[in-house]
Amino acid sequence: MLASFDTHLFWEALTSEPYWRGALLAIALTCAALAAAVLLGFPLALGRASRFRAVRIVVFVYSWFFRATPTLLLLLIVWDVLPQLWPVFTHSWYTAFLAAFIALALNEAAYMAEIIRAGLLSVDPGQELASRALGMKRWQTLRRVVIPQAIRIVIPPTGNEFITLLKLTSLASVISVHELLTAAQEQASVSFKFAEVYGAALVYYLVIVSVLMFLQSKLERRFTWTSRARGRAVAVPTVAHDAR
Amino acid sequence: MNAALLRADEVSKSYDGLEVLRGVTFEVDRGQVKVIIGPSGSGKSTLLRCLALLEPVDAGAIFLDGDRVSGLKERELTSHRSEVGMVFQRFNLFQNMTALGNVMVALRDVRRLPKKEARERALEFLARVGLADKGNSYPEELSGGQQQRVAIARALVMRPKAMLFDEPTSALDVELVREVLDVMEGLAREGMTMVVVSHELRFAQHVASSILMMDEGRIIEESPPEQFFSAPEHERTRRFLSLVE
Repeated sequence: MLASFDTHLFWEALTSEPYWRGALLAIALTCAALAAAVLLGFPLALGRASRFRAVRIVVFVYSWFFRATPTLLLLLIVWDVLPQLWPVFTHSWYTAFLAAFIALALNEAAYMAEIIRAGLLSVDPGQELASRALGMKRWQTLRRVVIPQAIRIVIPPTGNEFITLLKLTSLASVISVHELLTAAQEQASVSFKFAEVYGAALVYYLVIVSVLMFLQSKLERRFTWTSRARGRAVAVPTVAHDAR
Repeated sequence: MNAALLRADEVSKSYDGLEVLRGVTFEVDRGQVKVIIGPSGSGKSTLLRCLALLEPVDAGAIFLDGDRVSGLKERELTSHRSEVGMVFQRFNLFQNMTALGNVMVALRDVRRLPKKEARERALEFLARVGLADKGNSYPEELSGGQQQRVAIARALVMRPKAMLFDEPTSALDVELVREVLDVMEGLAREGMTMVVVSHELRFAQHVASSILMMDEGRIIEESPPEQFFSAPEHERTRRFLSLVE
Protein backbone atom coordinates (compact mmCIF):
# COMPACT_ATOMS: atom_id res chain seq x y z
CA MET A 1 0.00 0.00 0.00
CA LEU A 2 1.13 3.53 -0.64
CA ALA A 3 2.74 5.01 2.43
CA SER A 4 0.80 8.22 2.70
CA PHE A 5 -2.56 7.46 1.04
CA ASP A 6 -5.39 8.26 3.43
CA THR A 7 -8.28 6.11 2.25
CA HIS A 8 -10.68 7.71 4.65
CA LEU A 9 -9.95 11.20 3.36
CA PHE A 10 -10.29 9.91 -0.21
CA TRP A 11 -13.80 8.58 0.51
CA GLU A 12 -14.71 11.70 2.34
CA ALA A 13 -13.71 13.84 -0.60
CA LEU A 14 -15.43 11.52 -3.03
CA THR A 15 -18.75 11.78 -1.24
CA SER A 16 -18.51 15.41 -0.16
CA GLU A 17 -21.08 17.92 -1.29
CA PRO A 18 -18.70 20.31 -3.10
CA TYR A 19 -17.53 17.36 -5.23
CA TRP A 20 -20.83 16.05 -6.42
CA ARG A 21 -22.23 19.55 -6.76
CA GLY A 22 -19.16 20.49 -8.79
CA ALA A 23 -19.57 17.38 -10.91
CA LEU A 24 -23.26 18.05 -11.54
CA LEU A 25 -22.40 21.60 -12.50
CA ALA A 26 -19.71 20.41 -14.90
CA ILE A 27 -22.15 17.97 -16.48
CA ALA A 28 -24.89 20.59 -16.72
CA LEU A 29 -22.51 23.12 -18.26
CA THR A 30 -21.20 20.56 -20.74
CA CYS A 31 -24.66 19.36 -21.80
CA ALA A 32 -26.06 22.87 -22.12
CA ALA A 33 -23.06 24.18 -24.06
CA LEU A 34 -22.98 21.15 -26.37
CA ALA A 35 -26.72 21.33 -27.05
CA ALA A 36 -26.46 25.03 -27.86
CA ALA A 37 -23.39 24.35 -30.02
CA VAL A 38 -25.31 21.75 -32.03
CA LEU A 39 -28.24 24.13 -32.53
CA LEU A 40 -25.89 26.92 -33.59
CA GLY A 41 -23.54 24.64 -35.52
CA PHE A 42 -26.29 23.31 -37.78
CA PRO A 43 -27.14 26.61 -39.49
CA LEU A 44 -23.41 27.36 -39.62
CA ALA A 45 -22.84 24.04 -41.39
CA LEU A 46 -25.60 24.79 -43.89
CA GLY A 47 -24.35 28.36 -44.25
CA ARG A 48 -20.95 27.21 -45.42
CA ALA A 49 -22.54 25.83 -48.56
CA SER A 50 -24.92 28.76 -49.02
CA ARG A 51 -25.32 30.25 -52.45
CA PHE A 52 -25.09 33.70 -50.88
CA ARG A 53 -21.55 34.99 -50.58
CA ALA A 54 -22.36 37.13 -47.56
CA VAL A 55 -23.60 34.11 -45.62
CA ARG A 56 -20.48 32.14 -46.48
CA ILE A 57 -18.29 35.03 -45.30
CA VAL A 58 -20.15 35.36 -41.98
CA VAL A 59 -19.73 31.63 -41.37
CA PHE A 60 -16.07 31.76 -42.25
CA VAL A 61 -15.39 34.71 -39.95
CA TYR A 62 -17.27 33.00 -37.12
CA SER A 63 -15.31 29.81 -37.46
CA TRP A 64 -12.02 31.65 -37.84
CA PHE A 65 -12.61 33.86 -34.79
CA PHE A 66 -13.76 31.20 -32.36
CA ARG A 67 -11.17 28.65 -33.38
CA ALA A 68 -8.38 31.19 -33.10
CA THR A 69 -9.43 32.50 -29.67
CA PRO A 70 -8.18 30.46 -26.70
CA THR A 71 -11.12 29.22 -24.65
CA LEU A 72 -9.65 30.67 -21.48
CA LEU A 73 -9.38 34.11 -23.06
CA LEU A 74 -12.90 33.81 -24.40
CA LEU A 75 -14.19 33.05 -20.90
CA LEU A 76 -12.46 36.16 -19.56
CA ILE A 77 -13.82 38.29 -22.37
CA VAL A 78 -17.38 37.11 -21.85
CA TRP A 79 -17.21 37.46 -18.06
CA ASP A 80 -15.02 40.54 -17.57
CA VAL A 81 -15.08 42.52 -20.80
CA LEU A 82 -18.77 42.40 -21.72
CA PRO A 83 -19.93 44.06 -18.45
CA GLN A 84 -17.44 46.89 -19.06
CA LEU A 85 -18.78 47.50 -22.54
CA TRP A 86 -22.49 47.06 -21.88
CA PRO A 87 -24.06 47.80 -18.49
CA VAL A 88 -26.81 45.20 -19.00
CA PHE A 89 -24.22 42.54 -18.24
CA THR A 90 -23.65 43.98 -14.78
CA HIS A 91 -27.13 42.94 -13.63
CA SER A 92 -27.55 40.04 -11.26
CA TRP A 93 -29.02 37.71 -13.91
CA TYR A 94 -25.63 37.62 -15.61
CA THR A 95 -24.11 34.82 -13.54
CA ALA A 96 -20.72 33.24 -13.94
CA PHE A 97 -22.44 30.02 -14.99
CA LEU A 98 -24.31 31.84 -17.76
CA ALA A 99 -21.11 33.52 -18.91
CA ALA A 100 -19.30 30.16 -18.98
CA PHE A 101 -22.19 28.65 -20.92
CA ILE A 102 -22.11 31.43 -23.51
CA ALA A 103 -18.34 31.27 -23.96
CA LEU A 104 -18.19 27.47 -24.25
CA ALA A 105 -21.24 27.28 -26.54
CA LEU A 106 -19.95 29.94 -28.93
CA ASN A 107 -16.56 28.28 -29.01
CA GLU A 108 -17.89 24.76 -29.43
CA ALA A 109 -20.32 25.77 -32.20
CA ALA A 110 -17.36 26.48 -34.48
CA TYR A 111 -16.20 22.87 -34.05
CA MET A 112 -19.67 21.33 -34.21
CA ALA A 113 -20.31 23.16 -37.47
CA GLU A 114 -17.35 21.34 -39.02
CA ILE A 115 -18.50 17.98 -37.67
CA ILE A 116 -22.08 18.47 -38.83
CA ARG A 117 -20.91 19.60 -42.25
CA ALA A 118 -18.78 16.48 -42.61
CA GLY A 119 -21.80 14.42 -41.55
CA LEU A 120 -24.11 16.04 -44.09
CA LEU A 121 -21.53 15.64 -46.85
CA SER A 122 -21.07 11.97 -46.03
CA VAL A 123 -24.66 11.14 -47.01
CA ASP A 124 -24.81 9.70 -50.52
CA PRO A 125 -26.12 12.41 -52.91
CA GLY A 126 -28.33 9.71 -54.47
CA GLN A 127 -30.42 9.78 -51.30
CA GLU A 128 -31.28 13.42 -51.78
CA LEU A 129 -31.88 12.90 -55.48
CA ALA A 130 -34.36 10.08 -54.85
CA SER A 131 -36.15 12.17 -52.26
CA ARG A 132 -36.47 15.13 -54.61
CA ALA A 133 -37.66 12.85 -57.39
CA LEU A 134 -40.57 11.80 -55.16
CA GLY A 135 -41.62 15.42 -54.83
CA MET A 136 -40.34 15.91 -51.28
CA LYS A 137 -39.51 19.49 -50.36
CA ARG A 138 -36.03 20.53 -49.37
CA TRP A 139 -36.67 20.58 -45.64
CA GLN A 140 -38.58 17.28 -45.82
CA THR A 141 -35.59 15.73 -47.56
CA LEU A 142 -33.30 17.07 -44.86
CA ARG A 143 -35.49 15.98 -41.97
CA ARG A 144 -36.53 12.55 -43.21
CA VAL A 145 -33.52 11.40 -45.16
CA VAL A 146 -30.34 13.42 -44.84
CA ILE A 147 -30.25 14.39 -41.16
CA PRO A 148 -31.00 10.90 -39.74
CA GLN A 149 -28.21 9.45 -41.86
CA ALA A 150 -25.83 12.27 -40.98
CA ILE A 151 -26.50 11.73 -37.27
CA ARG A 152 -25.01 8.27 -37.46
CA ILE A 153 -21.77 9.78 -38.74
CA VAL A 154 -21.84 12.69 -36.34
CA ILE A 155 -22.35 10.74 -33.08
CA PRO A 156 -18.77 9.50 -32.48
CA PRO A 157 -16.98 12.84 -33.02
CA THR A 158 -19.70 14.55 -30.98
CA GLY A 159 -18.91 12.14 -28.15
CA ASN A 160 -15.31 13.33 -28.37
CA GLU A 161 -16.48 16.91 -28.23
CA PHE A 162 -18.50 16.13 -25.11
CA ILE A 163 -15.37 14.82 -23.42
CA THR A 164 -13.33 17.82 -24.52
CA LEU A 165 -15.99 20.21 -23.27
CA LEU A 166 -16.27 18.39 -19.95
CA LYS A 167 -12.58 18.99 -19.41
CA LEU A 168 -12.84 22.57 -20.61
CA THR A 169 -15.44 23.32 -17.94
CA SER A 170 -12.57 23.27 -15.43
CA LEU A 171 -11.37 26.48 -17.08
CA ALA A 172 -14.54 28.12 -15.84
CA SER A 173 -12.98 28.10 -12.39
CA VAL A 174 -11.14 31.29 -13.39
CA ILE A 175 -14.45 33.12 -13.58
CA SER A 176 -15.52 31.70 -10.22
CA VAL A 177 -17.71 28.87 -11.46
CA HIS A 178 -17.55 26.22 -8.76
CA GLU A 179 -17.14 23.13 -10.85
CA LEU A 180 -15.50 19.85 -9.92
CA LEU A 181 -11.85 20.83 -10.23
CA THR A 182 -12.38 23.98 -8.18
CA ALA A 183 -13.80 21.83 -5.41
CA ALA A 184 -10.74 19.59 -5.55
CA GLN A 185 -8.33 22.52 -5.51
CA GLU A 186 -10.06 24.03 -2.50
CA GLN A 187 -9.80 20.72 -0.67
CA ALA A 188 -6.16 20.44 -1.60
CA SER A 189 -5.30 23.88 -0.35
CA VAL A 190 -6.80 23.00 3.03
CA SER A 191 -5.49 19.46 3.56
CA PHE A 192 -2.40 19.32 1.29
CA LYS A 193 -3.43 15.69 0.68
CA PHE A 194 -3.08 15.96 -3.08
CA ALA A 195 -3.28 12.26 -3.95
CA GLU A 196 -6.57 11.81 -2.09
CA VAL A 197 -8.43 14.91 -3.23
CA TYR A 198 -7.22 14.90 -6.85
CA GLY A 199 -7.70 11.14 -7.00
CA ALA A 200 -11.31 11.62 -5.95
CA ALA A 201 -11.80 14.24 -8.68
CA LEU A 202 -10.26 11.86 -11.21
CA VAL A 203 -12.77 9.17 -10.25
CA TYR A 204 -15.61 11.55 -11.06
CA TYR A 205 -14.23 12.32 -14.50
CA LEU A 206 -13.67 8.63 -15.22
CA VAL A 207 -17.21 7.75 -14.18
CA ILE A 208 -18.80 10.57 -16.17
CA VAL A 209 -16.90 9.66 -19.34
CA SER A 210 -17.68 5.94 -18.86
CA VAL A 211 -21.40 6.68 -18.62
CA LEU A 212 -21.12 8.85 -21.71
CA MET A 213 -19.38 6.07 -23.66
CA PHE A 214 -22.12 3.64 -22.67
CA LEU A 215 -24.87 6.04 -23.77
CA GLN A 216 -23.00 6.75 -27.00
CA SER A 217 -22.82 3.09 -27.97
CA LYS A 218 -26.56 2.76 -27.30
CA LEU A 219 -27.24 5.78 -29.47
CA GLU A 220 -25.02 4.51 -32.26
CA ARG A 221 -26.96 1.26 -32.31
CA ARG A 222 -30.20 3.17 -32.55
CA PHE A 223 -28.92 4.88 -35.68
CA THR A 224 -27.81 1.67 -37.36
CA TRP A 225 -30.46 0.52 -39.76
CA THR A 226 -30.70 -3.21 -39.82
CA SER A 227 -33.54 -5.07 -38.17
CA ARG A 228 -30.95 -7.11 -36.31
CA ALA A 229 -29.55 -3.82 -35.02
CA ARG A 230 -26.03 -5.09 -34.83
CA GLY A 231 -23.36 -2.49 -34.55
CA ARG A 232 -21.41 -1.79 -37.67
CA ALA A 233 -18.27 0.20 -38.06
CA VAL A 234 -18.92 3.42 -39.91
CA ALA A 235 -16.43 5.76 -41.42
CA VAL A 236 -15.88 8.61 -39.02
CA PRO A 237 -14.60 11.87 -40.44
CA THR A 238 -11.62 13.01 -38.46
CA VAL A 239 -11.74 16.52 -37.17
CA ALA A 240 -8.48 18.13 -36.21
CA HIS A 241 -8.37 18.25 -32.45
CA ASP A 242 -6.49 21.42 -31.77
CA ALA A 243 -5.69 22.47 -28.25
CA ARG A 244 -8.08 25.08 -27.03
CA MET B 1 -51.01 21.81 -77.35
CA ASN B 2 -49.40 18.54 -78.05
CA ALA B 3 -50.94 15.14 -77.33
CA ALA B 4 -47.75 13.69 -75.90
CA LEU B 5 -47.82 12.86 -72.21
CA LEU B 6 -44.20 13.83 -71.70
CA ARG B 7 -42.24 15.90 -74.15
CA ALA B 8 -38.79 17.44 -74.35
CA ASP B 9 -38.64 20.22 -76.88
CA GLU B 10 -35.24 21.22 -78.29
CA VAL B 11 -33.63 20.65 -74.89
CA SER B 12 -30.01 21.62 -74.38
CA LYS B 13 -27.95 21.15 -71.26
CA SER B 14 -24.31 21.77 -70.42
CA TYR B 15 -22.17 21.00 -67.41
CA ASP B 16 -19.11 23.18 -66.98
CA GLY B 17 -19.07 24.10 -70.63
CA LEU B 18 -19.52 20.52 -71.78
CA GLU B 19 -22.62 20.15 -73.94
CA VAL B 20 -24.38 17.00 -72.77
CA LEU B 21 -27.67 17.53 -74.59
CA ARG B 22 -27.72 19.35 -77.93
CA GLY B 23 -31.25 20.27 -78.80
CA VAL B 24 -33.01 17.00 -78.04
CA THR B 25 -36.66 16.64 -79.01
CA PHE B 26 -38.34 13.62 -77.56
CA GLU B 27 -41.85 12.61 -76.72
CA VAL B 28 -43.72 9.71 -75.27
CA ASP B 29 -47.47 9.21 -75.62
CA ARG B 30 -49.76 7.72 -73.03
CA GLY B 31 -49.18 3.99 -72.72
CA GLN B 32 -46.03 3.96 -74.82
CA VAL B 33 -42.75 2.41 -73.72
CA LYS B 34 -39.67 4.06 -75.14
CA VAL B 35 -36.27 2.51 -74.69
CA ILE B 36 -33.18 4.69 -75.03
CA ILE B 37 -29.81 3.15 -75.78
CA GLY B 38 -26.45 4.68 -76.55
CA PRO B 39 -22.84 4.80 -75.39
CA SER B 40 -21.95 6.25 -72.01
CA GLY B 41 -21.70 10.01 -72.09
CA SER B 42 -24.27 10.24 -74.87
CA GLY B 43 -26.69 12.13 -72.62
CA LYS B 44 -29.25 9.39 -71.86
CA SER B 45 -29.23 9.83 -68.11
CA THR B 46 -29.20 13.59 -68.38
CA LEU B 47 -32.24 13.51 -70.66
CA LEU B 48 -34.02 11.34 -68.12
CA ARG B 49 -33.13 13.69 -65.27
CA CYS B 50 -34.41 16.64 -67.25
CA LEU B 51 -37.66 14.76 -67.90
CA ALA B 52 -37.90 13.98 -64.17
CA LEU B 53 -37.46 17.72 -63.50
CA LEU B 54 -34.39 16.98 -61.41
CA GLU B 55 -32.17 19.14 -63.60
CA PRO B 56 -33.07 22.54 -65.02
CA VAL B 57 -32.69 22.77 -68.79
CA ASP B 58 -30.45 25.44 -70.31
CA ALA B 59 -32.58 25.83 -73.42
CA GLY B 60 -35.79 24.29 -74.69
CA ALA B 61 -38.69 23.11 -72.58
CA ILE B 62 -40.26 20.10 -70.90
CA PHE B 63 -44.02 19.51 -71.18
CA LEU B 64 -45.99 17.18 -68.95
CA ASP B 65 -49.53 16.45 -70.04
CA GLY B 66 -49.46 19.54 -72.23
CA ASP B 67 -48.26 21.88 -69.47
CA ARG B 68 -44.89 23.50 -69.66
CA VAL B 69 -43.12 22.36 -66.49
CA SER B 70 -39.56 23.51 -67.10
CA GLY B 71 -38.40 26.89 -65.86
CA LEU B 72 -40.87 26.88 -62.97
CA LYS B 73 -40.00 27.90 -59.44
CA GLU B 74 -38.72 25.19 -57.12
CA ARG B 75 -42.01 25.12 -55.20
CA GLU B 76 -44.07 24.40 -58.34
CA LEU B 77 -41.52 21.94 -59.65
CA THR B 78 -41.81 19.94 -56.45
CA SER B 79 -45.44 19.05 -57.03
CA HIS B 80 -44.84 18.16 -60.68
CA ARG B 81 -41.95 15.86 -59.75
CA SER B 82 -44.29 13.60 -57.85
CA GLU B 83 -46.24 13.02 -61.08
CA VAL B 84 -43.24 11.39 -62.73
CA GLY B 85 -41.74 8.27 -61.14
CA MET B 86 -37.99 7.79 -61.29
CA VAL B 87 -36.00 4.61 -60.78
CA PHE B 88 -32.23 4.88 -60.43
CA GLN B 89 -29.38 2.63 -61.45
CA ARG B 90 -28.16 2.34 -57.86
CA PHE B 91 -31.69 2.06 -56.36
CA ASN B 92 -31.11 4.96 -53.95
CA LEU B 93 -33.39 3.50 -51.31
CA PHE B 94 -33.43 5.54 -48.13
CA GLN B 95 -30.96 3.68 -45.94
CA ASN B 96 -32.58 4.82 -42.71
CA MET B 97 -35.99 3.38 -43.52
CA THR B 98 -37.42 -0.09 -43.91
CA ALA B 99 -38.77 -1.17 -47.29
CA LEU B 100 -42.23 -0.20 -46.09
CA GLY B 101 -40.92 3.14 -44.81
CA ASN B 102 -39.38 3.84 -48.20
CA VAL B 103 -42.66 3.25 -49.98
CA MET B 104 -44.70 5.16 -47.40
CA VAL B 105 -42.66 8.29 -46.83
CA ALA B 106 -43.76 10.34 -49.83
CA LEU B 107 -47.38 9.25 -49.40
CA ARG B 108 -47.22 10.83 -45.96
CA ASP B 109 -45.10 13.89 -46.75
CA VAL B 110 -46.14 14.71 -50.30
CA ARG B 111 -49.62 13.21 -50.67
CA ARG B 112 -50.46 13.94 -47.04
CA LEU B 113 -52.24 10.62 -46.51
CA PRO B 114 -53.06 9.53 -42.98
CA LYS B 115 -50.67 6.93 -41.61
CA LYS B 116 -53.04 3.99 -41.80
CA GLU B 117 -54.02 4.66 -45.38
CA ALA B 118 -50.42 5.27 -46.45
CA ARG B 119 -49.40 2.01 -44.83
CA GLU B 120 -52.11 0.00 -46.52
CA ARG B 121 -51.34 1.44 -49.93
CA ALA B 122 -47.61 0.93 -49.44
CA LEU B 123 -48.16 -2.71 -48.48
CA GLU B 124 -50.34 -3.18 -51.53
CA PHE B 125 -47.58 -1.90 -53.81
CA LEU B 126 -44.90 -3.93 -52.07
CA ALA B 127 -47.06 -6.99 -52.75
CA ARG B 128 -47.32 -5.92 -56.38
CA VAL B 129 -43.55 -6.20 -56.78
CA GLY B 130 -43.59 -9.51 -54.90
CA LEU B 131 -42.13 -8.24 -51.64
CA ALA B 132 -45.10 -8.36 -49.28
CA ASP B 133 -42.99 -10.20 -46.72
CA LYS B 134 -40.03 -7.78 -46.82
CA GLY B 135 -41.74 -4.68 -45.48
CA ASN B 136 -39.72 -4.66 -42.27
CA SER B 137 -36.34 -5.24 -43.89
CA TYR B 138 -33.84 -2.44 -44.25
CA PRO B 139 -32.25 -1.86 -47.66
CA GLU B 140 -28.91 -3.32 -46.69
CA GLU B 141 -30.62 -6.60 -45.80
CA LEU B 142 -32.13 -6.95 -49.28
CA SER B 143 -30.55 -8.23 -52.47
CA GLY B 144 -29.98 -5.77 -55.29
CA GLY B 145 -32.96 -7.12 -57.18
CA GLN B 146 -35.19 -6.78 -54.15
CA GLN B 147 -33.93 -3.25 -53.52
CA GLN B 148 -34.70 -2.24 -57.07
CA ARG B 149 -38.19 -3.70 -56.82
CA VAL B 150 -38.79 -1.70 -53.63
CA ALA B 151 -37.55 1.37 -55.51
CA ILE B 152 -40.07 0.67 -58.27
CA ALA B 153 -42.85 0.28 -55.69
CA ARG B 154 -41.76 3.54 -54.05
CA ALA B 155 -42.17 5.37 -57.36
CA LEU B 156 -45.36 3.56 -58.41
CA VAL B 157 -47.18 4.15 -55.16
CA MET B 158 -47.37 7.85 -56.05
CA ARG B 159 -49.48 6.86 -59.07
CA PRO B 160 -47.25 8.76 -61.49
CA LYS B 161 -48.34 9.61 -65.01
CA ALA B 162 -45.10 8.17 -66.35
CA MET B 163 -42.22 6.08 -65.06
CA LEU B 164 -38.60 6.76 -65.93
CA PHE B 165 -35.95 4.07 -65.51
CA ASP B 166 -32.26 4.96 -65.56
CA GLU B 167 -30.35 1.74 -66.32
CA PRO B 168 -32.41 -0.12 -63.72
CA THR B 169 -30.62 -3.44 -64.10
CA SER B 170 -27.04 -2.49 -64.83
CA ALA B 171 -25.96 -2.51 -61.17
CA LEU B 172 -27.43 -5.97 -60.64
CA ASP B 173 -25.88 -9.41 -60.69
CA VAL B 174 -27.04 -11.28 -63.77
CA GLU B 175 -29.26 -13.69 -61.91
CA LEU B 176 -31.17 -10.78 -60.35
CA VAL B 177 -31.90 -8.92 -63.59
CA ARG B 178 -34.87 -11.08 -64.52
CA GLU B 179 -36.98 -10.33 -61.44
CA VAL B 180 -36.70 -6.59 -62.09
CA LEU B 181 -37.44 -6.92 -65.81
CA ASP B 182 -40.48 -9.06 -64.98
CA VAL B 183 -41.89 -6.26 -62.86
CA MET B 184 -41.20 -3.75 -65.61
CA GLU B 185 -42.78 -5.92 -68.29
CA GLY B 186 -45.84 -6.31 -66.09
CA LEU B 187 -46.07 -2.53 -65.83
CA ALA B 188 -45.76 -2.12 -69.57
CA ARG B 189 -48.57 -4.63 -70.14
CA GLU B 190 -50.78 -2.68 -67.76
CA GLY B 191 -50.33 0.34 -69.98
CA MET B 192 -47.89 2.38 -67.91
CA THR B 193 -46.14 5.10 -69.87
CA MET B 194 -42.44 4.37 -69.56
CA VAL B 195 -39.09 5.74 -70.65
CA VAL B 196 -36.32 3.25 -70.07
CA VAL B 197 -32.60 3.77 -70.48
CA SER B 198 -31.31 0.24 -70.76
CA HIS B 199 -29.13 -2.06 -72.75
CA GLU B 200 -31.38 -5.05 -72.14
CA LEU B 201 -32.08 -5.49 -75.82
CA ARG B 202 -34.38 -8.45 -75.40
CA PHE B 203 -36.51 -6.43 -73.03
CA ALA B 204 -36.53 -3.62 -75.58
CA GLN B 205 -37.55 -6.00 -78.33
CA HIS B 206 -40.46 -7.36 -76.27
CA VAL B 207 -42.01 -4.27 -74.81
CA ALA B 208 -40.74 -1.15 -76.53
CA SER B 209 -43.05 0.92 -78.71
CA SER B 210 -39.90 2.31 -80.19
CA ILE B 211 -36.20 2.34 -79.52
CA LEU B 212 -34.04 5.45 -79.61
CA MET B 213 -30.34 5.68 -80.21
CA MET B 214 -28.49 8.57 -78.58
CA ASP B 215 -25.01 9.71 -79.43
CA GLU B 216 -23.12 12.85 -78.43
CA GLY B 217 -26.12 14.61 -76.95
CA ARG B 218 -28.50 13.92 -79.82
CA ILE B 219 -31.13 11.34 -80.70
CA ILE B 220 -29.81 10.02 -83.98
CA GLU B 221 -32.45 7.43 -84.67
CA GLU B 222 -35.85 6.27 -83.47
CA SER B 223 -37.74 3.32 -84.85
CA PRO B 224 -39.92 0.36 -83.80
CA PRO B 225 -37.93 -2.61 -82.45
CA GLU B 226 -38.19 -4.86 -85.55
CA GLN B 227 -36.83 -2.18 -87.79
CA PHE B 228 -34.33 -0.92 -85.24
CA PHE B 229 -32.66 -4.30 -84.90
CA SER B 230 -33.01 -5.60 -88.45
CA ALA B 231 -32.33 -2.47 -90.41
CA PRO B 232 -30.80 0.33 -88.36
CA GLU B 233 -30.48 3.53 -90.34
CA HIS B 234 -27.20 4.68 -88.93
CA GLU B 235 -23.81 3.15 -89.14
CA ARG B 236 -23.24 4.35 -85.56
CA THR B 237 -26.27 2.35 -84.35
CA ARG B 238 -25.11 -0.75 -86.17
CA ARG B 239 -21.68 -0.57 -84.61
CA PHE B 240 -23.15 0.03 -81.15
CA LEU B 241 -25.56 -2.90 -81.47
CA SER B 242 -22.77 -5.22 -82.48
CA LEU B 243 -20.88 -4.23 -79.35
CA VAL B 244 -23.81 -4.67 -76.97
CA GLU B 245 -25.07 -8.02 -78.27
